[in-house]
Amino acid sequence: MAALSDRRRINAPSGGTSAPVFSKALKEPGYLEELRPQRIRAPKELRKIFLQTSIIPSASGSAYLEIPNAPSSHPATLIPPTSSLKIAASVQGPKPLPRSAPFSPTLLLSTTVKFAPFATRHRRGYIRDAAERDLGVHLETALRGVIIGERWPKSGVEIVVTVLEGDEGAWWGQEGGSNGSGWGLLNVLAGCITAAGSAIIDAGIDCVDMVSGGVAAFVQDPSADGRLLVLDPSPAEHRDIIAACAVGYLHSRDEVTEVWLRGDAGLEAADSLIEGAAQAAEGSFSVMKEVFIENLEKNGNAQGLEGAGGKRKHADVEMAG
Amino acid sequence: MPSTLPPYALPGTLLGPATKYLPGPGTHIHESHIYSSIAGNVRSTTSRAAPPPTPTNKPPTTNTPTTPSTPTPANNTKSKPLPLLTVSRDDAAEGQDTMGILGVGGGAGNPILPEVESIVLARVTRLGQRFASVEILVVGDSVCRESFQGMIRREDVRATEKDKVKIEESFRVGDLVRGVVISLGDQSNYYLSTAQNELGVVMAKSEAGNTMYPVSWKEFVDAKTGARERRKVAKPF
Repeated sequence: MAALSDRRRINAPSGGTSAPVFSKALKEPGYLEELRPQRIRAPKELRKIFLQTSIIPSASGSAYLEIPNAPSSHPATLIPPTSSLKIAASVQGPKPLPRSAPFSPTLLLSTTVKFAPFATRHRRGYIRDAAERDLGVHLETALRGVIIGERWPKSGVEIVVTVLEGDEGAWWGQEGGSNGSGWGLLNVLAGCITAAGSAIIDAGIDCVDMVSGGVAAFVQDPSADGRLLVLDPSPAEHRDIIAACAVGYLHSRDEVTEVWLRGDAGLEAADSLIEGAAQAAEGSFSVMKEVFIENLEKNGNAQGLEGAGGKRKHADVEMAG
Repeated sequence: MPSTLPPYALPGTLLGPATKYLPGPGTHIHESHIYSSIAGNVRSTTSRAAPPPTPTNKPPTTNTPTTPSTPTPANNTKSKPLPLLTVSRDDAAEGQDTMGILGVGGGAGNPILPEVESIVLARVTRLGQRFASVEILVVGDSVCRESFQGMIRREDVRATEKDKVKIEESFRVGDLVRGVVISLGDQSNYYLSTAQNELGVVMAKSEAGNTMYPVSWKEFVDAKTGARERRKVAKPF
């Protein structure tokens, strides 16, 4: 719809392009189902996270987050079994407000989340659609609770998040297509929170804590009588997701700034879902912390090296819940 | 409770109780403990030159919204000044070391805002009957990422004979002015004052376009043509 109203650019066909369907998938009914990715991680194990800050020179702070897709278990097909998550966040400012803006004693925060047109299997338009605006509002809520706005009177900060590749809502081979019912958006939100939280710290804006995002979900599981709580669900790996939750979590204060719960969880289950999502956020936090400590050490302050940091090894952190 | 200070801190790192330290820039108080609010190196300065903490709370010590009431540690300042805790980003590494994927210098630089009483350098952009508009380029020792709009009102140009001040005999468009911020002002302008000997025009060009040098507290002289122009001159060093 957004693409239709966009008259300024040459848009791709609205139907998008589809991956080739090979005859094998048609001849053998079971073949397509064979390609369905399986979750091989433990239920409480997160996917690996790559995070780097200060990647955009012109921005006052920036971060890039990537959750790579699982190595393909099926060498026979070219289509990646799951999607990966790639998010770039940049912080512009704090800068003086435009002349027309009224006086504000605190920092004005504005967040923009935009999917790149090529970010999902279904092509996105260039104009922000409802889902993107929704993500922007959620992200703003998550960040507002962490920034100390009083330190920056009369100024505004813009946080621009570009989703280069978004987690899809369901497996591509499923009937409903890869969009599912939008479960992937929760993963995207959690990634946005982690990336934007890192970019804010990179920009040197005062924060009460570090905010990180995490997702937990209840999935249908025949072996564990009905439902199973998994952290960091990759929607393609689960046939039926019952309910999922994304949070923005402050590690040292043990506070939650943002909750996005969807699906039919029930009251007590919602509690354990939020708990699980916070646990997943804890995992992203440990990556963030490692990245910033590495940055501080790289900046070569002598006193930092002989302190606790001297013993640190610059190795990748294996994420295991 | 850490007895010693960590060498560096991330936002939310506990630094110490508010009864033992004073919160400086880069920190905040939460439940009467001092926490870091940016990622950087921790420094603790036992105030030697710093004046005993006056109760005028500077912006860094303002409480966060989540800390409605915090006991200010100012009650025992008479006995011994508390060490001031600051967290600062390493400026030495700015520029060369921060190599981003897309190039050099990503995320570098301290974001700064003019505060009341900060000394700023500003360029005059427009003259009015009652004020001169300026753009603030430097705050303290650091260059701003973007310039801030400022305004010098006629009554703030000099300390004496305020009623006889004429804006066009004090500033010209393009002059570089050293001033002090007296108010955060309204929605668009910071209010500056030059009503001190050290404040005023520091660099000016004559109508002919040549650089001038100051000869008195109210005059500059063109080095080439010898023409005199009136300005509110900052005291030469």
